[in-house]
Amino acid sequence: MRTSYRTGTIVSRILVYSFLVILVVITLIPVWMLIVNATRSTVEIQQGISLLPSKYLVSNYKILLSKGLDLPRGFLNSVTIAVLTTVIAVYFGMLTAYGIVAYNFKGKRTLYNMIIVLVMIPMQLSIIGFYQWMSKLGLTDSYASLILPSIASAGSVFFAKQYLDSIMIQDLIDAGRIDGATELGIFHRIMLPIAKPGMFTMGIFAFVAAWNNFFNAFILISSRQKYTLPMLVQTLRGDVYRHEYGAIYLGLAASVVPIIIIYFLFSRYIVNGISMGAVKE
Amino acid sequence: MKKKIRHDQYGYLFVAPFIIGFLIFGLYPVVNTIVLSFTDRTLMSSTWSFIGLKNFQNLFADSTFVTAITNTWELWLMNFIPQMVIAFLLAIWFTNNRLKLKGVGVWRMIFYMPNLMMASAVAALFFSLFSFYGPVNQVLVRSGFLPEAIDFIRKPAIMRGLVVFIQWWMWFGQTTILLMAAMTAISPSLYEAALVDGAGTFQMFRMITLPLIKPVLIYILVTSLVGGMQMFDIPYLLTDGRGSPGNSILTNTINMYMKFHSSKGHIGAASSVGLVVFLMTSVVALLIFFLLREKHDQPAKAER
Repeated sequence: MRTSYRTGTIVSRILVYSFLVILVVITLIPVWMLIVNATRSTVEIQQGISLLPSKYLVSNYKILLSKGLDLPRGFLNSVTIAVLTTVIAVYFGMLTAYGIVAYNFKGKRTLYNMIIVLVMIPMQLSIIGFYQWMSKLGLTDSYASLILPSIASAGSVFFAKQYLDSIMIQDLIDAGRIDGATELGIFHRIMLPIAKPGMFTMGIFAFVAAWNNFFNAFILISSRQKYTLPMLVQTLRGDVYRHEYGAIYLGLAASVVPIIIIYFLFSRYIVNGISMGAVKE
Repeated sequence: MKKKIRHDQYGYLFVAPFIIGFLIFGLYPVVNTIVLSFTDRTLMSSTWSFIGLKNFQNLFADSTFVTAITNTWELWLMNFIPQMVIAFLLAIWFTNNRLKLKGVGVWRMIFYMPNLMMASAVAALFFSLFSFYGPVNQVLVRSGFLPEAIDFIRKPAIMRGLVVFIQWWMWFGQTTILLMAAMTAISPSLYEAALVDGAGTFQMFRMITLPLIKPVLIYILVTSLVGGMQMFDIPYLLTDGRGSPGNSILTNTINMYMKFHSSKGHIGAASSVGLVVFLMTSVVALLIFFLLREKHDQPAKAER
């Protein structure tokens, strides 16, 4: 009896592991091919598939530049937007969530419910009204229209509130008050330092979302030198690059690799962060 | 006590930037979209007028709009269901005490990775993998599976399948992590008690696991629905940006974008598409949330 139970477990283990291996291959192959092909010449790519890198990275890069694709510029644009968006989303997310967690003011329950509802509403679909409003304000083709809305990022507040709920220590706030700190001072000097790990997790998510955001930039930004990476990626499908596969893959890889690096450095924060938003409420 | 009340007024100060930001960048654009949807406004001309429900009448008379809505629902459902099946399997295996799988953290980390990939880059990648001279054709022809290369980009069924696959590929890892978190939060003593009572594996899953992870299931369902109804990057960049071949991957947002980006820039008509889909999605999402949630959440709410 015992042994059959054990062999049963061993057999199911083998089956499960094989399934997992297949799934890993499916998960990684597209990304790996993308990276490898960025280092192969167009001729090599057309001759067949290889999973080993080649040595044409630099020449592919030169082809990209010669076709007028300003990758460094796009990179810089994306970094600028993503960093500013992240800082704003994290700071104001924390500020709002702290207001809700630390104070008992009238309407705070309503406000928080509204924020939860906002998470469930497809705000992107109001982009036309947003675009027309921004053009009235003279903010189209400006990064402000991409960055400033993150002041009111419902997702960030939602996450920040879950986090603050779990680390909130009322005594520290009271102690701060006795020491004569202002309310904003307590938030800046006592709460934010304690909340650093949560802010970091929030920051990674905000950064990745801003980095990958194609649609809003696509609608709002029109001048070529302000293009972000996802917008440059979109131009790679054009006729100019028709048969420059190596260069195309390099352009794609350049937009994906930074995120992969961030992921491998901080995957622990990311994986824990995903569960946090949903499980507690 | 009095002092406490004075402190509490500061709460308004802390939430004020959010509320102001929301009014400017969130609420007003929605109101503006609603107003625009009743006008014939375009980007090219400065004169416009209110035309009542004309935009909406045009929409529902337009088979493209109906196709876009049906497509979006189908594309979402076709990736959501397999995503849940695989995620459930993985979450059950990863949390199973008898299997005791090694390296759960590593598997999970790998499966989540595609979620962080730039959707537009992923779509462009698959576009070139499946292009006529692309690697997929090469392999299939050289290995003798196909007599000659197929123009995948012009095959509706294959393009739809690809959109579904990419969506699935990007999201099953995230769903697995959420389900696992919910499952590991369940107290083992519940299962022990059930075991003593002679419950089988399937019974335990149905009577203990499912009801207890219901809030997370609702969260996954609602967020996936809301994301799915706004699907744009992948179907837009996979083919020509018009939902080709034959409107087979034309989604709501692509439809909206095409009206916005038409030669005249008909923002009135584009707003009406946005508004209808916005209302449809919000109503369904909120219904799912409140109908399924309420009973379960009552005691927790009373506590606060």
